Amino acid sequence: MTLLIQTLIQGISLGSIYALIALGYTMVYGIAKMLNFAHGDIIMVGAYTIYSTIALAHFPGWLGVLSAVVFCGVLGVVIEFLAYKPLRGAPSLNVLITAIGVSYLLQNIALLIFEGKQKAMPLGDFDFPDLKVGNTGITVTGEVIFTITLTVVLMIALTLFINKTKMGKAMRAVSEDKDAARLMGINVNRTISVTFAIGSILAAFASLCYGMSYAYIKPTTGSMPGIKAFTAAVFGGIGSIPGAMLGGFVIGILEKLSSAYISTQFTDAIVFGVLIVMLVVRPTGLLGKKIREKV
Amino acid sequence: MLKVENLNVYYGNIHAIHDVSFEVKEGEIVSLIGANGAGKTTTMHTVSGLLRSRTGSVTFMGKNISHTEAHKIVNMGIAQVPEGRHVFLQMTVEENLQMGAYTTPKTLKEDLEKVYALFPRLLERRKQVAGTLSGGEQQMLAMGRAMMSRPKLILLDEPSMGLAPILVDQVFSIIKELHAAGITVLLVEQNAGKALAISDRAYVLETGRIVLAGTGAELAASPEIKKAYLGG
Ligand SMILES: Nc1ncnc2c1ncn2[C@@H]1O[C@H](COP(=O)(O)OP(=O)(O)O)[C@@H](O)[C@H]1O
Ligand SMILES: [Mg+2]
Repeated sequence: MTLLIQTLIQGISLGSIYALIALGYTMVYGIAKMLNFAHGDIIMVGAYTIYSTIALAHFPGWLGVLSAVVFCGVLGVVIEFLAYKPLRGAPSLNVLITAIGVSYLLQNIALLIFEGKQKAMPLGDFDFPDLKVGNTGITVTGEVIFTITLTVVLMIALTLFINKTKMGKAMRAVSEDKDAARLMGINVNRTISVTFAIGSILAAFASLCYGMSYAYIKPTTGSMPGIKAFTAAVFGGIGSIPGAMLGGFVIGILEKLSSAYISTQFTDAIVFGVLIVMLVVRPTGLLGKKIREKV
Repeated sequence: MLKVENLNVYYGNIHAIHDVSFEVKEGEIVSLIGANGAGKTTTMHTVSGLLRSRTGSVTFMGKNISHTEAHKIVNMGIAQVPEGRHVFLQMTVEENLQMGAYTTPKTLKEDLEKVYALFPRLLERRKQVAGTLSGGEQQMLAMGRAMMSRPKLILLDEPSMGLAPILVDQVFSIIKELHAAGITVLLVEQNAGKALAISDRAYVLETGRIVLAGTGAELAASPEIKKAYLGG
């Protein structure tokens, strides 16, 4: 019982990281109708930004996070502007290949600057105390508490932004019907930029949480969480924001459960297997939906 | 107010609009009529900036808007109610109207009241998601949404399409109300009889070309029009 509860908590924590990344995939897909395969590498960029600010420039931890947030946000917008915007209206395969190219580009730039050897994340400022739950034998680590709390706060903020603000509503309008949105006077290009900025900022926070749990980074650090988060986005229903949140938690919990109870070697196979089953049974994902227009 | 000159619009290699010229003067109701595929929607989209013409120009209130982005054209005072309504199905009625007011946030409250006064149904359903509305209600919403930007010119693309006769009459009476409130109207209709009856002038499009023009009454009386569009 203790093991189960511990595993579930760890799963929620890992799932939080996936959910933060999955939100970027799903929002970009919803609005620009593209799979931004370079999104996972933004986590790696965020992690190196934190590393550089804290370990190389000797700034305090909070400034490291702030610079990652700003740098990733700007980078997301710049990538969209330089790599994807010129392809607006091009076949989706062209855009997909470009995104894969951007992914390799980011990884190789990191390799050039930081070399392949892994670096320790200097997150001493984020060393929070563990929580022992009574005498149940359950311990929740400080980084787990921090990760889950931060994720919940960011999700609430995002939900409020999407549902209550003018820009958030415009983003929903664009994701539903681009031409109709243009007829409302909405600048579609600007909403796409804002979407990339938000997705990348969430990824920067994910890189902090990832760094707290895994401690080391290298240029390919973003790939695996990126793919898992993409799986989560598809599982939840790509384009759906609550879907990405739910999908992230489901994949995180599934991963931790299967490594605790089945085998760590089969974890990835199980996660992707569940995705495939999901796509066969319900191709739109858990919360993906299509409402038909009435005539 | 709106002047379209020698417009040529292509979809890839398909030449959809050939040298189309027409004019809408301030305060008029002008109709474009024509069979399915004649190029009416293409013309409307080009005026709104959703499509670009290869040659020719669109001038609105003295400004050439042929290369102006769609969202800026809305700001200049042209709203479109697109064919098939295109309301935001996953957003509530009120959110749809808020989107209509995207360029005019200052007058949002006031204009919401106006639209709700004109369409009491929408007020009843303001918290409802637009996807749950009936076709007629969606059409009302699309029209109300277009009014929210305080347009000087409104483009209506087949507003009565697919509606029950009683709702068709309602749509036409609303068009008259919009016009009475000072909005200039460019109307595309398959219901040519009803459209001509309320139009100051009209143009007939056939396979991407304007083949006839005249006042609403002239065209309604023309034997060719009667035969081709008025069923007799
Ligand atoms: N997206 C498109 N791609 C290619 N051809 C199109 C497209 N939309 C319309 N057309 C063609 O352009 C012509 C005019 O269409 P349209 O403007 O929709 O006519 P209408 O609104 O009068 O029914 C038709 O021949 C139609 O097949
Ligand atoms: Mg049409």
